[in-house]
Amino acid sequence: MLSTLVQKELRAMLLSPKFVATFAVCSILMLLSVFTGVQEYGAAVRQYETSTQLSEQQMRQETTWARMTTTVLRQPDPMQIFVGGLTYDIGRWSGISTRNSIKLSGSTYSDDPIFAVFRHIDFAFIVQFILTLFAILFTYDAVNGERESGTLKLVFANAIPRARYLLAKCIGSWLGLVIPICIPIILCMLLVGVMGVSLSAVHWGRLVTFLGISLLLFTFFIVLGVFISSLTRRSSVSFLAALVVWIGFVLIIPRTAVMAADQIVRVPRVAEIEGQRDGYAKDRWATFMEESQERWGSRCSLEELDESERDTELWNRMQEEDSLRRIVEKEIESYETRLQEDLRRRKAAQQHLAFILARFSPASAYQLAAMFLAGTDISLKARYVDAMTAYRTQFNDYVEKKQAETGSTGGVMITMSSESGISITTGRDDVGIDVSEVPRFSPPEYTYVAAVAPIIPDFGILALATMVAFMGAFIAFLRYDVR
Amino acid sequence: MNEQPTRETTLRLEAVNLTKRYEDGVLALDHINFAVQSGELFVMLGGNGAGKTTAINLFLNFLEPTEGEARINGIASHREPLKAKQHVAFVSENVMLYGNFTAIQNLDFFARIGGKTDFRRNDYRDVLLRVGLPEDVHDKRLKSFSKGMRQKCGIAIAILKDASAILLDEPTAGLDPKAGHEFVRLLDSLRSEGKAVFMSTHDIFRAREIADTFAILDRGRIIMQEPASNLAGKDLETLYIQYMAGHNNSSVAAAGGIHA
Ligand SMILES: Nc1ncnc2c1ncn2[C@@H]1O[C@H](COP(=O)(O)OP(=O)(O)OP(=O)(O)O)[C@@H](O)[C@H]1O
Ligand SMILES: [Mg+2]
Repeated sequence: MLSTLVQKELRAMLLSPKFVATFAVCSILMLLSVFTGVQEYGAAVRQYETSTQLSEQQMRQETTWARMTTTVLRQPDPMQIFVGGLTYDIGRWSGISTRNSIKLSGSTYSDDPIFAVFRHIDFAFIVQFILTLFAILFTYDAVNGERESGTLKLVFANAIPRARYLLAKCIGSWLGLVIPICIPIILCMLLVGVMGVSLSAVHWGRLVTFLGISLLLFTFFIVLGVFISSLTRRSSVSFLAALVVWIGFVLIIPRTAVMAADQIVRVPRVAEIEGQRDGYAKDRWATFMEESQERWGSRCSLEELDESERDTELWNRMQEEDSLRRIVEKEIESYETRLQEDLRRRKAAQQHLAFILARFSPASAYQLAAMFLAGTDISLKARYVDAMTAYRTQFNDYVEKKQAETGSTGGVMITMSSESGISITTGRDDVGIDVSEVPRFSPPEYTYVAAVAPIIPDFGILALATMVAFMGAFIAFLRYDVR
Repeated sequence: MNEQPTRETTLRLEAVNLTKRYEDGVLALDHINFAVQSGELFVMLGGNGAGKTTAINLFLNFLEPTEGEARINGIASHREPLKAKQHVAFVSENVMLYGNFTAIQNLDFFARIGGKTDFRRNDYRDVLLRVGLPEDVHDKRLKSFSKGMRQKCGIAIAILKDASAILLDEPTAGLDPKAGHEFVRLLDSLRSEGKAVFMSTHDIFRAREIADTFAILDRGRIIMQEPASNLAGKDLETLYIQYMAGHNNSSVAAAGGIHA
């Protein structure tokens, strides 16, 4: 009997006129998003390869270790085809040198601001915004629609247990929506293959997990629609209710979470930090000057000393002042470090809170999970900055070692002597240098475990939310007045 | 779907002190009693708001009785609704089926959930022809059907379920005279198959054609219940109006001579 009921739901879904239109729109959007995603990825890969070659070439052309610098690049990840995440916001390269620390610059959005205005539509976006709406649209009247049309009465004039009927509703709606959606998904996978994107086993693992969690979100909204429809008598009411809930989950909660976290955990702005630092420095220097004046005043006058002592005393005093000055500088620096440290801590706390609050919505739990799986999440930048910083140390150490070996200090040495007059030596090794042993940057590895571990809570949230919606629908329907 | 144990009892539908008071305090049924045997066609007459639909909803357990019981084959339907509903088919005053399904698909679905899983297309065709739906509409979607055609589908579904009792709530309301007549003939044939048929209606003329027993329901009370044979040769419409008027004036005797 369950299969009869499920079949009926399936058929009703597939025969409904809105189905074909909605399904077609979804399929086209999915394929388009993957198509443009692959192209974008292809362009990124080409750019990555040429830039890597270019930087390699520059290294080869360098003639002295002293001026040896290089550029490292962020490697495009094929998962960005499905979940753009922050990949377009984060810079794609950083210079490596002794002087400057790592700074990622040249993001896609800074190069093409038009894309920043109308963000990329990716697969995750389609799931989060369009498929969920699709799900709600097809299930908001699952129960009350049948009541309104009168078929519910005729069905329950038969010996049908309500639980079984509701289960069939859920399964039928699920199959009716998921099976058709699998077609464009498979086509998308084929498209990725045909367009020549090669995926490693880890990528496949992440991709399949991503598709799984996408289906879970879809399932949640299907069950939610059934729940809302069995809470209400009229489909016009449930339509509005479902829409409001959808807006809340998909649009409001994620944004409010960030705003609330911003209010709860205050993070000082950059200007504030700078102001604080400058204020501290000013105070510190003022006291230093005062103390310095006092010191000069309290000491015995230099005039009292004889000539030979005067010079050494002056020198000593200046030395003393200098070291005190350096202490002040250190203090200011450490003060700033503390400020930065505090800023980072607060930022982390704020972000943590924002994520916790946002996860009240399964839609944003999904968004976070999708980004983690794709590796385009908020930690992408940190991952690269860390790897590049580690590489920078390695690179600089190597270069320094080479510099010491070849004795080239770089720059120009000017020697003055009474015998030979002025001689100028440059540290240039005119023969060129062998760069084959210079350590090369390898992008940070993003393993399957690293991708999946952070999404376990999101998975749990989605599963729990689906269960709650199902139980809710179940309880509501047991008491539902079928007349 | 085994009806064997209850075959011997001919009492198919029974209202025992059946009472329903809605949450808002309306007393829709006030201790009504009646019984329908197999092979009997029971007609419940009553004006708008008399309580006819309420009575049927109680049999189908769409409502909980405030007092008393509605029994199907001796099973109180609010106690064991699933068991009771196995033995009853229902045709509403406005049969609503799945608009996107064809007549055959609808029949197939309802036959299956009624517990009949081994029908073939031919069986559906036969029953649709029996209720008077020509073959060219069998594969048409229900949403293009007129009300009369839907009512016929409704009775086809009831026939397929092959339950021992059939509840019909004003099934002929809105049907043209010819369709109404055909409908009544169908009920007649079902009765002769030994079904217990309970029909509520306002339509005295239609009722007169086939009823075995008449009851008049007024504001939740049965104010008259008579076998059709007792009313032979009487002008039922006049009687009905007299009864209603008489009941309202609490002077039933004035209606004259029926109880004799
Ligand atoms: N859900 C309800 N809540 C409260 N009162 C109701 C409800 N349904 C029906 N009633 C009341 O119960 C009484 C009987 O209604 P019912 O629908 O059973 O009458 P009926 O005989 O079927 O009338 P009709 O010929 O118009 O179909 C009416 O007074 C009606 O107002
Ligand atoms: Mg009624």
